[in-house]
Amino acid sequence: MKIKILTFAQTRAQLGFGETEFECNPGETPREIFRRLAPQFDPGKIIRVAVNQEYADWDSPVGNAFELALIPPVSGG
Amino acid sequence: MKTHIEFTRVPIVPPAAPSGSREIGAVLEFSGLVRELENGRKIPGLQYEAYEPMARMELEKIFQELAVKHPCEEIYFIHRLEFVPVGEASLFIRISAGHRQPALALMAELIDRLKTDVPVWKLSDVLH
Repeated sequence: MKIKILTFAQTRAQLGFGETEFECNPGETPREIFRRLAPQFDPGKIIRVAVNQEYADWDSPVGNAFELALIPPVSGG
Repeated sequence: MKTHIEFTRVPIVPPAAPSGSREIGAVLEFSGLVRELENGRKIPGLQYEAYEPMARMELEKIFQELAVKHPCEEIYFIHRLEFVPVGEASLFIRISAGHRQPALALMAELIDRLKTDVPVWKLSDVLH
């Protein structure tokens, strides 16, 4: 299945794209998907991940999700 | 509780005063302005971006969660995106409530949560 992948703020600079589509399977976790998509990228402990526009676990399968996003530390206001 | 969430790319215009309920005893307004010094350096303004659909959902969740602890009548939330010049507002929040205590408490907690959980970013580095 294809999943839309979004990046914001410093993660967009790190990965070099703001939006892309990527082929993955429902059993894969966000961590595994990013390991294949951008092997050099390490989310460490401060970058969160969102699945279908909600905070999610890096190590839970994405299921039939349509969207995956990297959420670096937020700074609105 | 009534809620209004808006992301705008033009200067924020504070909405007209709330009307309707005669039980509103406190109306609290907060504006967050862009300061000239960012990490000690003079800047012309700040660039903001948001993951808008998720930011809306997170805000709604936070509003509902906080309203259980601090019952209020209305939250009116506006965040400006893209370039915001120094001196202009990037954020406007108005809370209307029966009494001042829940309005003040909700405002303080809402701004704290905005700064930890809502996917909005200021991108000051792009301007240097």
